[in-house]
Amino acid sequence: MKTRTLIPKIKHVVSDARIAWNVLNGVFAVYKPPAVTYLNTRDTIIYRLCEDLNSMQVRPPIQHVCIEGDTTEKMEVVTHPSYADHPLVVGPRYQLKDFKLICANYLNTNSSGLMICGINDSTKLIHKLKASKPPSSYKVKGILGQATDNYFKTGKIVERSTYKYIKRDVIDRMCASMQAAHQRKMFEVSGIDIQSQAAYEFAVKGLMRPANNDIPMVYSIKCVDFTSPEFTLEIVAINENEMYLKTLVHDLGIQLHSVATCTQILCFRYALFNLDLALLPKHWELQNILDNIEQCHDILNQNRSLLKQKNPILTKQNN
Amino acid sequence: MFSTGKNYLKLIRGARILHLDSRKSIPQKPELKTLPIFQYPVSQEDTRRVYVWGLADHGAIGEATALYKDKISYLLKPKRLSFAERYKVTDIACGYGFTVYAVQSSDKNIVYGTGINTDSQLGFNEIDKKKFPDNMVFAPRPINLPLKENTTTKVIGMAAGRAHLLILTMEGLFTLGNNAYGQCGRPIIANENYEKSRVVHHIPNIKGSKITAVAAGQDHSILLTEVGEVYAFGWGADGQTGLAHYRNEHRPSLVKGDLAGQHIIKVACIADCVLALSDKGKVYGWGNSEYGQLSVKGDSCQVYIATELNLPEEIGHITDIATGGCFCMILNSAGNIYVWGYGILGLGPQVQKILKPTMIPPTLFGNNVYNRDIKVTKIYCGISQLAALTNSGDLYMWGGNKFGSLGLGHRNDQFFPLRVAVGAQVKKVACGVDHTVTLCKPFI
Repeated sequence: MKTRTLIPKIKHVVSDARIAWNVLNGVFAVYKPPAVTYLNTRDTIIYRLCEDLNSMQVRPPIQHVCIEGDTTEKMEVVTHPSYADHPLVVGPRYQLKDFKLICANYLNTNSSGLMICGINDSTKLIHKLKASKPPSSYKVKGILGQATDNYFKTGKIVERSTYKYIKRDVIDRMCASMQAAHQRKMFEVSGIDIQSQAAYEFAVKGLMRPANNDIPMVYSIKCVDFTSPEFTLEIVAINENEMYLKTLVHDLGIQLHSVATCTQILCFRYALFNLDLALLPKHWELQNILDNIEQCHDILNQNRSLLKQKNPILTKQNN
Repeated sequence: MFSTGKNYLKLIRGARILHLDSRKSIPQKPELKTLPIFQYPVSQEDTRRVYVWGLADHGAIGEATALYKDKISYLLKPKRLSFAERYKVTDIACGYGFTVYAVQSSDKNIVYGTGINTDSQLGFNEIDKKKFPDNMVFAPRPINLPLKENTTTKVIGMAAGRAHLLILTMEGLFTLGNNAYGQCGRPIIANENYEKSRVVHHIPNIKGSKITAVAAGQDHSILLTEVGEVYAFGWGADGQTGLAHYRNEHRPSLVKGDLAGQHIIKVACIADCVLALSDKGKVYGWGNSEYGQLSVKGDSCQVYIATELNLPEEIGHITDIATGGCFCMILNSAGNIYVWGYGILGLGPQVQKILKPTMIPPTLFGNNVYNRDIKVTKIYCGISQLAALTNSGDLYMWGGNKFGSLGLGHRNDQFFPLRVAVGAQVKKVACGVDHTVTLCKPFI
């Protein structure tokens, strides 16, 4: 695994923004902070990129040609920078609307963590990555003893209950049971007839991807930390959304004869991309993003199956 | 003048707050102190629940709400038994269309029965005349046992066959029901009328040694003593008594053969093939071998003497055994299940018959890339259904799905293990012909 360096080794400095624009084309990983919307994150990245590009040597205004002089005599051809193309007239060379930026794993406002983005032409790669349905892993924190109206800590507390009797082993057993229930659902979601030989052969191989994009499919729920009343779950899922994860925590609380509220959702892995790859908001700069693109494409090139998934079974390699 | 200034100041202050924090405009959250703190009930260590599913028409489910008047009533999904909420159920057993529950109680009613009672396998009870006149008991009612006065006896084990019932208590073994082949351990009386019979036979011990476990096949019974000996009696036409003859035997008789000198810890039978497990992890079998359940040489379909099964080396130490109508299942110490025989074995729809013990892949029990430590801890069989419990407390079932007896929510056969949605940790499973009963412990 290549370690990420925020301060790159400078081989030669590109000062021309046009070259930088042309190479700004790939998949990169960012860390989305909590309580920030996806669109806000996206716009911030693009805004920073615009700033960086515009601060470089940008394309000069086109030359305005005028032929001056007396028409009866030999005229003079004079060129000077066109005002119609001047940054002070038409605005900066690189603007927000010039960029295309989409993400593969959409994180809602309250979630935080790794977000895989594709910029400009590489939005195609993002669509392919999405279509291959890789699992994403979350660390979900919850607190026992209180329930809110929106299942998250930001909501209004609507119920309180006791929780002193809840021990780690009960949570572990409960998680195992919830996960086994999800696993059974896998056969229905995978879209094969459970009576058939094919269903048996797939079932023997292990976990299956869902056939469509609608139904959330949880593959693993594990309690990794418990200090009453707080607990942390590690969840691996496909097609999940923020509300589904919050509901899982809420359900767990009810199953434990208490109530629980989700306090944090952190996505720490998507496909083969890890959280340590992600760029923090303070590092959202052109140079760092270009370096990150290089690292992400190393991973994509080594694992072509990420973009074209033919195996319906989840293997250890792409979890 | 003064008040105007005050109002103005208030307005300014409000505006400043509004500007700094827009959330202030949202109504304040209620004070935490004003909310009551709920205390939800928590179960005790010995609390048990019973979940039931399968055919309810003969009353073996013991749930009056599951019965319909004009159509065959069955439960496709596990249902929590209300009887078990009123009584502390400690043990369960299923026969062919009837169920018995052992309960912890202060009086003499320590066993309750429900279901078919044509051969008085659930004993005689005065209630039946009024409530259940057709030899069908639709709700659990006490089984009268001739216990000593002021006794504190408890049920140690129970087993039920086609139409007879064995109840092992601390006072000894009680047998009820059909004795046409001597399966109740008393002399066979020709043309005995078993209907509304009050006979309960009592076997206090066997040659002075205590009985520790009981098992019942279709029409024979097997006892296990504290010294690890196996005694059998009842129908012997397929050699299922293992007594080196094919006659019926009513006296509990020692099973010899390869069992001699071995300490047997468990005997499993449901129909007419018997497996026995020794403390060394070896498996012995006798009885019907029509479907190759007992891999013996020669073309004999019946084995009338206990024979050690020659299982492949790689299986290793065996920790649990189970037999069905036409197949056998064993569990080794690594938590792997091996099956052989005929029928739906859990190896997919294409495998109909297999003679060599074959492992069911552990991935089918939830052992996958994310959970490497899941393994099977206990196995059970009905006539056509198979069941396995994992160390996470989940129940997996597969096989024939007569009247939804697999509890999967439909009536189609299941060709590989699938988890049954039971809302508690399953501790014990009892399979009848077309219904299943589980004894569970609540999660919390």
